[in-house]
Amino acid sequence: MSQINLEKLVSKKDLFSLLKGLINVLGSPIEIQGKEGKTITSFGDQPDANVQTHSNVISTNNTYPIKLNDIAIGWVKGDQPAHVFSELLSYLANKEFEKKSLASDMLDKYREINLLYDIADKIAACTEVKDVAQLIIDEARQLINATSASLMLLNNNNTLNTLEILSAYGEECIPKTILQLGEGIAGNVAVTGVAEIVNDVASDPRFVKGHNAVSSLLCAPLRLKDRILGVMNLSSRSPYPYSARDLKLLSIFASQAASSIENAILYENRMKTENIKAHLQRYVSPQIVSSILEDFGGNSLNPSKKKISILFSDIRNFSAVCEKLAPEKIVTYLNEYFSHMVEIIFEHQGTVNKFVGDMIVAFFGAPFHCDNNETQAIKSAIKMQQCIKKTGSSWIRDNFTTGIGITAGEVVVGNIGSPRHMDYTAIGDEVNIADRLQSLAKGGQILVEHNVYHATKNIFEFEKFGKITVKGKEKPIDIFNVIY
Amino acid sequence: MPKVLIVDDEPHIRLLLEQTLEEFEEKGVEIITAGNGKQALELIKKETPDIVYLDVMMPEMNGYDVCNAVKNDPALKGVYIILLTAKGQEYDKKMGDDSGADIYMTKPFNPDVIIAKTASILNITL
Repeated sequence: MSQINLEKLVSKKDLFSLLKGLINVLGSPIEIQGKEGKTITSFGDQPDANVQTHSNVISTNNTYPIKLNDIAIGWVKGDQPAHVFSELLSYLANKEFEKKSLASDMLDKYREINLLYDIADKIAACTEVKDVAQLIIDEARQLINATSASLMLLNNNNTLNTLEILSAYGEECIPKTILQLGEGIAGNVAVTGVAEIVNDVASDPRFVKGHNAVSSLLCAPLRLKDRILGVMNLSSRSPYPYSARDLKLLSIFASQAASSIENAILYENRMKTENIKAHLQRYVSPQIVSSILEDFGGNSLNPSKKKISILFSDIRNFSAVCEKLAPEKIVTYLNEYFSHMVEIIFEHQGTVNKFVGDMIVAFFGAPFHCDNNETQAIKSAIKMQQCIKKTGSSWIRDNFTTGIGITAGEVVVGNIGSPRHMDYTAIGDEVNIADRLQSLAKGGQILVEHNVYHATKNIFEFEKFGKITVKGKEKPIDIFNVIY
Repeated sequence: MPKVLIVDDEPHIRLLLEQTLEEFEEKGVEIITAGNGKQALELIKKETPDIVYLDVMMPEMNGYDVCNAVKNDPALKGVYIILLTAKGQEYDKKMGDDSGADIYMTKPFNPDVIIAKTASILNITL
């Protein structure tokens, strides 16, 4: 709290003149002394043209106190009229003290405003949840006395709600602390949503004794509308009288933290989604990516048995074709060819599984469900063949004649591989047969297996192509050629 | 005795700055105040303060004009002027630079920055 400097007070020009004037009127010299009796200034005891006194000698040892809140901060020495001066100076000292106290409070408020202004600026630059938490803790410590601080987030598992430390400072914080909801003071604040001051932690029955020696603490919820995201704790190793002002400040920090952490979480999730989207868009159309992301739960990438159609397409005599042109030119044509083919597969809700050299492998019905996947696969194949025939590049028309094979059935499909490298792929006989059909198909031909034929015979026109034998199958398989 | 002049037409800002600089008074620094530009210029000429915390938007004479007058007076060469204003636009900063101010701070000012700056200019350790 501000103290009053009596010497400074009486040396103020306005007051100095006023005192001189009063001495004139009262006609008695005075001496103003400090707390210990040391002379600060005197009036009327020396010849002064402006000050007229009956006598210029202070003939008495009488002193009258100048009091600030009933405590003497100085003395006025002089005859009886000195008493008036002591009263006046006491009044002025108290007024000055009030002014200084108000100014001190106002400066504290100003620091708070300035701090919040600063935080708002700094938070805008934080996009990661941990950075936001660290920033809030650092800023709170500047305004509130604490030897340790932590920010805990509520983890909503289906079976258990826990509070886990996201960011912490100070020896008393144990970084891996996990509290159940309702456990300890922090756990309670997370339930009630009401900020608390606990200045005697040891006597609070809720306190969970651990290795951390905490004497006093503040805890405020990270509240967002009617949701609690977590809590923020500030504590002191030695007993400390936290005040309502400290709690108010912490609540302001906690509320800033809540909205900023929510924003950072949303931002991180959005970045994750964008990342998934960017990866998925290489395999499926943007519309399908959106539908997968909206309802990813039903479209797991974990391996599972699914009924799908599999399409293999391959350029005939590609090796011979490659010899006709420089590799760079071939790549340019291939890219154009693939762009058209992928576009068509996407149009028919297909997923491009992989390119193997000039070969395309596509699925219809995985990872997302596709009604009538056999029909979609054939429609796609017909359009692919027509596209090659109609393409603007005569070189592609003449040289990229393509054979397509389609099968349908139950396969295991999903992410398969090692944790370091995974491929979304399908495993099963139907995959091998589709590859085999593609190799049998001439340029412009679409060959399908009997079960694809049975599923779509009322939609497309077919002719019998023949039978093939497949390893592990007793009976040869009927093959059909799609007429389009 | 080093002197710091605080110039602002708003009494509470003057009080805030006085309070911010309170510790310097204990080190023998005299803090004086003025409530408008005209009064400020008179005080600067009379007292030659070491530092002037100068508000921009004031009646009678604005901060830019006071600054200009001080910086064009060879007798006041050593007066360090800190323009302190609620404005923070680039244009205002340019006006401050053109008027010859030594530095420019925006409100809400950071009390700790004010303390550090004053200590550094007056070469006082708190």
